[in-house]
Amino acid sequence: MAKVMVVDDAAFMRMRACKVLQENGHETVQAENGLEAVKQYAAHHPDAVLMDITMPEMDGLAALKEIRKMDPNARVAMVTAMGQQAIVMEALKAGAKDFVLKPFQPDRVLNALQKLLAS
Amino acid sequence: MKVEFINPFVQAVTEVLESELGTAPERGIIGLQRSAYTSNEVTAVVAVAGEVAGMVMFAMTAKTAQGMVSKMLGQDFPEFDALAQSGIAEIGNVITGRAAVLLSEAGYPSDLAPPMLLIGKNTMISTLDVQRLVIPMETEFGSIEVQVALKLSGTAAKRAAA
Repeated sequence: MAKVMVVDDAAFMRMRACKVLQENGHETVQAENGLEAVKQYAAHHPDAVLMDITMPEMDGLAALKEIRKMDPNARVAMVTAMGQQAIVMEALKAGAKDFVLKPFQPDRVLNALQKLLAS
Repeated sequence: MKVEFINPFVQAVTEVLESELGTAPERGIIGLQRSAYTSNEVTAVVAVAGEVAGMVMFAMTAKTAQGMVSKMLGQDFPEFDALAQSGIAEIGNVITGRAAVLLSEAGYPSDLAPPMLLIGKNTMISTLDVQRLVIPMETEFGSIEVQVALKLSGTAAKRAAA
């Protein structure tokens, strides 16, 4: 069982990911933008983070960089629309461990989490 | 409306709806409309800016919207509440995002604005001089009409005019 932070500006997507994670025995923390994600990371120290890329206030890439500054071992997977290869590559260079493609698939989320926790 | 805009949206809406709902939607006959759009009960609206600009709308009844989000989240939505609204907006966002990637690969890079929802029937939205590509899709939860009102912008428009 892990503590997982789900970061997405869409409430429905947060709820959906959290539901799948909770049904598989994980504890969840939510944040609705990158700025909140950085604050929540400092407060909760989650074992893994699922981070949407396009968000208001602070996007996922900027939040990833802030979190990695705070914790160089942070385990973050980016959640992205199909085809955002350039952003995904930048995120991987900035320390993201994996990425999950939208549309949302529960198996993909759980597989990504397993990879993160194993890293 | 350029013919190159059609396939990215047909492909995107088919792929995303099949992935989200678990069954492939059936596509109806694609058409072009110039007259104002009269809203259905729920319309997700996503604005597009870049080499192509305009907006994309996803129109459906509240019953269809509730059926879709119920399937996606695996729980019943007896009302079209704020969470259900977020789900429908996100479907519009993911479909348009996927189409934008395909458009970018075809040489028309563009960005999306955050999705919005128009709730309520019979509101008229004019896209003025921009024709709308209308793609009817039939799902197990009812019909979704995808309305694509885009035109060339920026350097793409200059290229086309040259």
